[in-house]
Amino acid sequence: MDGEYIQDVSDDDGVEVASRSGNNGAAGGAYGARARGRTRAKERWESGIQADSIAFGEGPDGNLAESLEAEEQARKRARLRQDNKPVQRGIIRHVVLILDLSEAMLEKDMRPNRYIVTINHAQAYVREFFEQNPISQMCVMAMHDGLCIRLSDLSGNPADHIAAIQGIRYPKSARQAAREPKGSPSLQNALEMARAALYHAPSHSTREVIIVLGALLSNDPGDIHKTIKSCVNDRLRVAIIGMGARLRICQEICAKTNAGDDSVYGVCQDEKNLRELLMATTTPPVIRQTAPALPSSEPTPNAASLLMMGFPSRVTESTPSLCACHNNLTRGGYMCSRCQVKVCSLPRACPSCGMTLILSTHLARSYHHLFPLQSWVEVSWKRARELGSTECQACMTHFPPVPEPQEPDAMQEGTDKSTGTDTANGAPKPVKQRPRAEGASESSRYECRSCHCHFCIDCDVYCHTVLHNCPGCLSNPNTAPTDAETNPEVVAEMAAGLENGVNGGEPMDME
Amino acid sequence: MNAIDGTDRHVRDSDNSPPPSLLTVILDTNPHAWALLSDTLPLSKAVANLLVFINAHLSFNHANQVAVIASHIQRAQWLYPTPHPPRSSSSPEENGTSTPTPPSATKYHRFAIIERELQDNLSRVISQTTAADLTSSTTTQIAGALSIALSHISRATQLSSPNDSSGISLDSTGPTLSNPTDTPTDPADGTPRARRSPLTSRILIVSVSGDLAAQYIPVMNSIFAAQRQRVPLDVLKLAGDTVFLQQAADATGGVYIAPSSPSARAGLLQYLMMGFLPDARARAALVMPGGGEVDFRAACFCHRRVVDVGFVCSVCLSIFCEPLEEGECLTCGTRLSLGAAVAAKPVVVPRPKKKKKRKVGDITGTSTPMSAGTPGP
Ligand SMILES: [Zn+2]
Ligand SMILES: [Zn+2]
Ligand SMILES: [Zn+2]
Ligand SMILES: [Zn+2]
Ligand SMILES: [Zn+2]
Ligand SMILES: [Zn+2]
Repeated sequence: MDGEYIQDVSDDDGVEVASRSGNNGAAGGAYGARARGRTRAKERWESGIQADSIAFGEGPDGNLAESLEAEEQARKRARLRQDNKPVQRGIIRHVVLILDLSEAMLEKDMRPNRYIVTINHAQAYVREFFEQNPISQMCVMAMHDGLCIRLSDLSGNPADHIAAIQGIRYPKSARQAAREPKGSPSLQNALEMARAALYHAPSHSTREVIIVLGALLSNDPGDIHKTIKSCVNDRLRVAIIGMGARLRICQEICAKTNAGDDSVYGVCQDEKNLRELLMATTTPPVIRQTAPALPSSEPTPNAASLLMMGFPSRVTESTPSLCACHNNLTRGGYMCSRCQVKVCSLPRACPSCGMTLILSTHLARSYHHLFPLQSWVEVSWKRARELGSTECQACMTHFPPVPEPQEPDAMQEGTDKSTGTDTANGAPKPVKQRPRAEGASESSRYECRSCHCHFCIDCDVYCHTVLHNCPGCLSNPNTAPTDAETNPEVVAEMAAGLENGVNGGEPMDME
Repeated sequence: MNAIDGTDRHVRDSDNSPPPSLLTVILDTNPHAWALLSDTLPLSKAVANLLVFINAHLSFNHANQVAVIASHIQRAQWLYPTPHPPRSSSSPEENGTSTPTPPSATKYHRFAIIERELQDNLSRVISQTTAADLTSSTTTQIAGALSIALSHISRATQLSSPNDSSGISLDSTGPTLSNPTDTPTDPADGTPRARRSPLTSRILIVSVSGDLAAQYIPVMNSIFAAQRQRVPLDVLKLAGDTVFLQQAADATGGVYIAPSSPSARAGLLQYLMMGFLPDARARAALVMPGGGEVDFRAACFCHRRVVDVGFVCSVCLSIFCEPLEEGECLTCGTRLSLGAAVAAKPVVVPRPKKKKKRKVGDITGTSTPMSAGTPGP
């Protein structure tokens, strides 16, 4: 078995290199590339040994702890090093998540087995997806015994999907049996089902399919290439997360439906990797210019449009009344702005008139995709000495002290000897230096290029993945008032709009 | 000293002890706004009340922590713990500013430290404010203060639960999601879920100034980060009018109290003690104030008109009050089709003219009424 896997992997090598160089920073590009790089390692334990041996090799003077720490920092930062130019992204998404429930999911290479691990991660994924994409829609399907079955309908409510995914193992009604993995999957059936489900998705939204595929085969009733072609015609974008080995057909599906970019096809080698690959797809995909290969039946495939949305206010009631969404008795909720029907949670489509009901804060939640935070750069010892930073600007963690200029300490940092010598003789050197482990800073400091504050690795990761703010820029007199990287006019416009709006257009009582 | 008065004691071994709690106070020190309040509630009095509140928080549990950040005009600054400003000499010195006089013997050591550092740092912040600063801006850097507070909380949470090596495995794998029946292991790394006493954090914003317009996106980002970390943002609004903060409290499950009258402001300590002292865990068992009707209506970007039904650009998510005549988004300039917006309106379906046409004897009668009945785009 193992021999086959290796064979399979090495066959793809040429393609891999080509696609990596052509990787244009699309959503999940970094993840995909990384996953592919690591696919060659057969087992988790084996890759662990390799990492260790590299660390040994790098510390000839026996300074092992520091190189391991650098590895760790590089690993944390790997996910941040994406091209973060503001690009237009498909903020309003329609996604079909397809889980594999075939025999292959009973493999025990993840504990307890792939099936349970996938189901657990899928639930986390749904929640994260709606955190990131509050005005998007999702639908969950499963490939089971040759068929593709629909678990939940297209909707914007994460609870529905989580319940459906839980229902795979613990069915809600007694007459249904739990779906244990069985038979083989069919990619063709899955794609056809997804195509049907996404057929009515409006033109301003994306149509995406995300497949978690455990099997190394697809048992199709017909010609899958015809299906791929019709998927391309329907503007479907397919991302596949495989397990065990790369499949030629999956690569083809991903490449053809993503305008030749197959970086959305990743193979996870362990549980953590699976989670990372899944989470990478929560970032909205970049909008490409009309693909040339696309025979345009519609005039503008990614037509932007003006959407009608309702901004309901919350009401509280003294007596409970039925909500329109679940038929539960509740006290209070949100009234549809158009038809005055009561719903219990937002965002959702009004069950009565179909209008999208949303809070203006939901719209604001997607702004960090439109105005991303710029990357922070590694800091050399020289630069650290120049600024004299002793602790993280945000969390006040102490940095390792800056070594004295003539001390050999600076030299023994990693394999990059030039760093050390430059520091020693004080040659002018810009901030950007690449010490040993790619992405890790030799001084454990990371600098924001606009406010020149230094941060620790944890704040770097946190600010770029969760907060999307630079604490230095926002608390610094020179950079604070207008966030340098965002478009100040837009910001002011929006802010003024919201502020005045809720004040009811009255002039504000400042001073 | 620390060992005697219990400062260094960490109650961690017994599982039934309440989990430690981190309270981060963001004190709005906008001089313009405090000047307006000076006759009813001077800043010094507010700080004194705040210190009592902080001491009460620390008395609950030996492991409780506190952090105070000033949200000043144009900058945000740590008040406690004391930051170490960058300096060129690289010799590490501990607590350079605050060791000279030993605290009085009658005061709990930790209270005394906090009081002294807070007052020292606050007076430094105020003395460093120049006249030019005052004239250039009237708003407070709440976004910066929030960002710092959240980074600090993220780090503190990570330190308190060393199991969590990934650092960013927030609530997506956290306690709320995992249901006990089917996740015996932590989905993040497969280790058994043995979270001993996680740190619960909250942020209290004592706000006096309004008009946070310039910081709309950073404040919103901070709110969402707090939401993901399950950090409630409590707001005590002493003056000014900011809708942001009410929405922030609402979105994160925090408490929003706005004592508006001067007499109500005089009871600042009571508001603090009654409204904000319980931590997230205690709040589950209490009926907390607030939670009434919240106005969530939006305002259009074109006329600042309050709307409950708006038109949203699908590219940049700007809100407009009416369909745009030119069909071009005023913010991002994208050409927008009105198709979806208009088609979403219910259309009155014209009565199919089946019968009539049948009478005439038209053979194509089956296909025409169908197309006539479909609401056109
Ligand atoms: Zn309901
Ligand atoms: Zn309605
Ligand atoms: Zn930090
Ligand atoms: Zn910065
Ligand atoms: Zn308008
Ligand atoms: Zn726009």
